[in-house]
This record gives sequence, structure tokens and C-alpha cells, in this order.
Amino acid sequence: MAHPTQLGFKDAAMPVMEELLHFHDHALMIVLLISTLVLYIITAMVSTKLTNKYILDSQEIEIVWTILPAVILVLIALPSLRILYLMDEINDPHLTIKAMGHQWYWSYEYTDYENLGFDSYMVPTQDLAPGQFRLLETDHRMVVPMESPVRVLVSAEDVLHSWAVPSLGVKMDAVPGRLNQAAFIASRPGVFYGQCSEICGANHSFMPIVVEAVPLEHFENWSSLMLEDA
Amino acid sequence: LLSVLEFYIISSITMLSTVSRQLRSHPALIPLFIFIGGGCTMSLTYLGRLALRNPDVCWDKKNNPEPWNKLGPNDQYKFYAVNMDYSKLKKDRPDF
Repeated sequence: MAHPTQLGFKDAAMPVMEELLHFHDHALMIVLLISTLVLYIITAMVSTKLTNKYILDSQEIEIVWTILPAVILVLIALPSLRILYLMDEINDPHLTIKAMGHQWYWSYEYTDYENLGFDSYMVPTQDLAPGQFRLLETDHRMVVPMESPVRVLVSAEDVLHSWAVPSLGVKMDAVPGRLNQAAFIASRPGVFYGQCSEICGANHSFMPIVVEAVPLEHFENWSSLMLEDA
Repeated sequence: LLSVLEFYIISSITMLSTVSRQLRSHPALIPLFIFIGGGCTMSLTYLGRLALRNPDVCWDKKNNPEPWNKLGPNDQYKFYAVNMDYSKLKKDRPDF
């Protein structure tokens, strides 16, 4: 959950998301160092009384400022490519959930063992209980067991949607007629919020996603309860 | 046809000799050639790898029309595997 005046990413609940956070810090630090250096050089150039009109070229500094940026770029590129390939790995999931986007709600199907399916509508603002988040709460949450690799198959029934939960580092477009696969491991129990991330009509801002990660026994109790209700 | 080939060979040799003569008076440009050349080589090699090894690419419509139907669980199709040990996976999908 984001806190007020937050500027950075949400706290990570997934190992790959942690890697993304660290990489973002690494790249941002390099960018800030370079920007500070350039700004300093600009102010030094503008505010000096020294003038030298007779230097035409210099081979040494050209070598330095060709090799140094290339090395910096390689230092940024290697962790980036590693995370890119890490994000695509699906490590033998314990559970598969289908998230189908409709206009304007999500429906989740847990069909590994029994046929469990339910819809997840946003809680309207006037029905919110005190302490709940506006435009982010849903009536049924997608419950997953924590510390288990989960595979989510995302698709849509009518128009394009996108299933996104920033804390879990997942964003996958829901395309009608196509199955997209995303995988995550919730490393800690908690409630993680996300919103539909592809414009899909009038209520595009009002179809949030809530993922609740609980220990396995609670997940089994919840799924038996949901099966009885359905 | 032979004259076209000779034309290309001679013009490339002239270009190379001009560039190496200019490089001798400006040796700072050598790292530039190294990095740009290395970058182009890496990109073209990866494109070649994708063209030849990617199962989504079909070259031979008669003998191998749909190579994406022949994927096995133990093959590595991506360029770099960080944490995955593909030899440990089993095939648990039905054949069709």
C-alpha cells in the first residue's frame, strides 16, 4: 500500500520486484552522479574569468570520454539484462489462477482441483467501511498462499485490460482471445493493491485488483468457504 | 557481375586505407571504433541467433512448417538462464 507523499516504488513483496528496486536505485544513482557532474561543470564554465583561446584538440581527453561512458553503460546494461531474463522465468508454480478482465470487473478462476470462480467488483465509495481505501477495495479478494510460486493466466472477455499489482512486480496485458502468463511468489503475507492498466472504457479507473497472501491453512479454509458459497 | 564485385572490393579497400590514415593522426578515435564495432557485432549476432534458433521463426515451409509446436521442457530457448535449471524439468503436458 502506498503511503502519502510517496515518490518511489511500493514496498516489494516478490523477490524479482526487490531486484527491480535495487536496479532502479543503481541506475538512478548513476544518473544523479552524471547530472551533478554536468551541472557543476556548467556553472564552473559560466562563472569563470579564465579564457584560453589556443587549445584546438586533445587526444587524451577524447579517449577518456569515449571509454568512460561506454564502461558506465555496460555497468547499467548487465544487471538490466539479467533482471529481464529473470522476470521471464516461471519456476514450477504450485497454483494456477485465471484472471479474466471484463468491462468493468475482474473474475478469478481457481480450477486446479475444484471449480472455484468469482467476480471481483470495486466497493463503491459510499459503501466503504472506515479505514478502507477509496477506489482500491474490492468485494472479493484474490487470495493466494504465501511463499508459493503462483502462475496467473490473464485474458479478457471483451476489450483490452491489464492486470497489474506493483508490489508483486506484475503487469500483464489482458488481450481478448489470448492467454498471457505471469508468475509471482508472495514472500510475505499481506494485502496488495493494483489497478487496471489499459484503458477499457468508462469505468477503467474503477476496476481494481486486490491480492491477499495468507498462510496455506487459511488459503485452504478460504477456498472451502468460497466453494460452499458458490 | 565480376566487375560489380571488383568495384565493391576496391571501394572498401580504399575506404579502409583512408580511415586508417586518418586514424593515425587522431588515435583517440580508436576506442570509438572498438565500442561501436563491438556493439554492432553483438546486435547482429543476436539477430542471427534469433533468426536461426528462435522457434517462432519458420524458414522451410515444406519440411518444418511450424517449429513452435516442437518445444520440449528441457530445452533452453532464451539467451540467458539466471536461475532455471532446464534439465530438471519434466514434461507434464499431454501430447497432441
